[in-house]
Amino acid sequence: MSVIKKLSQIFSGSSSMEKEAVENPVESDQPTEPKNPFAEQPPVQRRVMQPTVLMEQVEATGATDQILIKAQPSRDNEQCKFMVNRPLFEGRSWLFSNFEGAAGSPLAEALFSVESVETLLVHDSTLVVTKTGGKGLPAWEALAKEVGGALRKLVEAGTALIAQDIVDKIPTEEVVRKDIQKVIDTEVNPGVAGHGGRITLTAVTGNTVTIEMGGGCQGCSAADLTLKQGIHSAFRKAAPYVGAIYDETDHAAGSNPYYS
Amino acid sequence: MPKLNRFNIEIETGERGTALPVHFTINNHKMPLEDTQGGVGAGETFTGGFEIRSFAHSLTLVGPETGQWDIRKIKVDFDCEQNPPYSAVFGQLTLDETTEVNIWQDPPVPTWDV
Repeated sequence: MSVIKKLSQIFSGSSSMEKEAVENPVESDQPTEPKNPFAEQPPVQRRVMQPTVLMEQVEATGATDQILIKAQPSRDNEQCKFMVNRPLFEGRSWLFSNFEGAAGSPLAEALFSVESVETLLVHDSTLVVTKTGGKGLPAWEALAKEVGGALRKLVEAGTALIAQDIVDKIPTEEVVRKDIQKVIDTEVNPGVAGHGGRITLTAVTGNTVTIEMGGGCQGCSAADLTLKQGIHSAFRKAAPYVGAIYDETDHAAGSNPYYS
Repeated sequence: MPKLNRFNIEIETGERGTALPVHFTINNHKMPLEDTQGGVGAGETFTGGFEIRSFAHSLTLVGPETGQWDIRKIKVDFDCEQNPPYSAVFGQLTLDETTEVNIWQDPPVPTWDV
């Protein structure tokens, strides 16, 4: 080792032994520990964005004299949406949950006489039919044809499809908003708060209500159950004039769902 | 959920572009797109695809490793088993090193006249 090198070691404070140990590591008899595969940092988890879908929606449209009705079953086969190019209940919506409620409404009276029809939700120019048997049989092809035929006859007749006493029951949007907000504040939100959830009233159009589920409800596997058995029941009990209730939550974008 | 045989993607880049290769994830596995054409520079159009032949629980387009990537439009053509081919078109968005975008769409629900 040169004198200069030795002097620099003295001034830097490192001994020749240390240097030699680094340069020529002594092989140990001890077995080397296996490398922990989990010691490395996991790759950074990226946030998944949900893009805006620009696909055209299927609707029965056209300024034609002909009455056009399109049928679109839901993915789970439980419901079928009928889109008509004529108003059925303009600016309003109504749920016929059983035959008893159909009295005086030609639309409901006619459609409840079709076998396997369980409930009817009419909103503007659309009708959603739920069938008995849930997600199983019967298939919608034949049933939709029968419902479509009955609907066409009623629309062609040109008479009012919904009973006047139902129309008279529907209050102003202000009343609907006030009543629904009260149910959300006093019943619904205290109930879902235990799971870190919250419900927000986003829109009221006529007697149609749109909500958004946030916090622990967004993306939760039980959100559909909460919506149908909890929120729908609470709304309809407190405000029986409420028609369609829509959930506009983007559940796929939920970052804090209950049970996550 | 149907079996996805293949998908093709067309990406229109907006003002801020990025660098090739373009990656996607299928069920959280990151892969580069194949059969690629075009570029992902500002204003360019890129096409690519992949032979999946499996079930897509998730399908995403991965953002760049650095910087931001303005996407004007994404069109995805799906070829799924037991379904006629269908497409999905997505609107503008910006991806970066912390994001990816969901490009999976279930086959459309059948609709018919009654």
